[in-house]
Amino acid sequence: MMLASANPLEFNLFPFITTMVVFGTVAVGLGIFVWPKILKGLDDRNAKILGEIAAAEAARTAAAAKQKEFEQKLQEAMEQSSRMIREAKAEAVRMGEELRARSEAELAERARRAQDEIESARRTAVAELEAHAATLAVSIASRILKREISATDQKRMVEESLAGMQGKSR
Amino acid sequence: MISLLASASDPMSHIVDKGLHEFDFLGRPMMLSMVTMTVTAIVLVVLLRWAARSIATGPESMGNKRFVSQSAFGGVIEVMVLYLRDQMLEPVMGARLTRKYLPFLLSMFFFILALNIVGLIPFVEVQEFIYSLRGEAFEIKENRTLAIFGGAATASISVTGGMALISFVLIQVQGFRELGVKGWLEHLCGGHDLVSGSPLLYPIVLLVFVVEFFGLFVKPAALAIRLFANMVAGHTLLIVFTSFGVLAANAGLGWFGVGAITVVSAIGAMLITLLEVFVALLQAFVFMFLTAVFISLMAHEDHGNEEAHAEAAAHAHGAPAH
Repeated sequence: MMLASANPLEFNLFPFITTMVVFGTVAVGLGIFVWPKILKGLDDRNAKILGEIAAAEAARTAAAAKQKEFEQKLQEAMEQSSRMIREAKAEAVRMGEELRARSEAELAERARRAQDEIESARRTAVAELEAHAATLAVSIASRILKREISATDQKRMVEESLAGMQGKSR
Repeated sequence: MISLLASASDPMSHIVDKGLHEFDFLGRPMMLSMVTMTVTAIVLVVLLRWAARSIATGPESMGNKRFVSQSAFGGVIEVMVLYLRDQMLEPVMGARLTRKYLPFLLSMFFFILALNIVGLIPFVEVQEFIYSLRGEAFEIKENRTLAIFGGAATASISVTGGMALISFVLIQVQGFRELGVKGWLEHLCGGHDLVSGSPLLYPIVLLVFVVEFFGLFVKPAALAIRLFANMVAGHTLLIVFTSFGVLAANAGLGWFGVGAITVVSAIGAMLITLLEVFVALLQAFVFMFLTAVFISLMAHEDHGNEEAHAEAAAHAHGAPAH
């Protein structure tokens, strides 16, 4: 077996041409059957990821818009409720004032009516007292005079006394 | 074993491309690298087709899982393709050129990577060991091997030269297509501004032309030599490490000495192999990436316009350009 010292820099045309032919064939073969599939797969995946990101972004934007709308509605509702509370309070105050005024008026009317009744009762009582006093005075006077006074006389005397008393009281 | 014994005295004999033992073509030996390259190419296409099927978008019945790679190998290829496209090529070439040249550049990367990786697997040594076990005596001609597959094809300057020539042709075709003949010549002379400048600058134009003209050939030659040299250096180191035991035995050391040296050299070889895996990946990337850089350099004016368009578009949308 003979193995001579080899020169790695020795150029050989056969491998040189074979390299170009084989690599050319490989490049064409891979260019037709392999890389388009792989690159399309990667592009599809990329498009899918970008699509998902875009969809997520759109959903986020929509959610943000919805949240803003909700917050706006919530704000409006809060303002409306505050306004209603304010109005209710004002109404309550107004009604309270009205009720108080009505009560005061009613009380004043009742007081006035009571005073009238008291006055009327007082007058009645005074009249009754006067009548009774007159009767009593006549009775006493008749006992003193020892004579019986008739009803007609008694009535006349009472009326005279009353007239006299009324004249004095005036 | 034959190879190992030979490599102990001459590591280069293991690394250089050899002719097949009994196969000639047009009166010249069929080289091992040619078979290795062809078989590797077929396996590469089959593997990548499998990966492509697992990466491709599946039927809608799979739901969202149709967008996910269906195999781990597909996942690895996908990660590599994505990284190369999005992190490496697009920033250099721009989106348009990347889309245009990505299939070619990916083919180049995976082809070189596959050849580099195959070169790390000791197919030749295994075949020669099997022949040695059979005990048959072969009369092997000079620079021939009994193996029919294996070896580091990219450790042959003929192979890397072929790849570099393809890169060269592609770079120049791209230059002509993007710049036109006039633009291509202006590019060689330092650009339109320099050519249309003062006549006092003509000596500089001439100097730039000479440098750029040689650069046309130096760039692909550098690609070829870089890949070749890295592969040769790595494999030489690996062979030297693995042959320490044989050298120790030849030197007449005892079993303990040979055993100790073999263990140490095996550990060293394993570490170097790990480094070589990285180098295989790195050199495939460097070859592909520099080709991409040279292509983009031949379209630099348009690339500038592309950036200007992007900037204008960004301004139009009220966003910063970067």
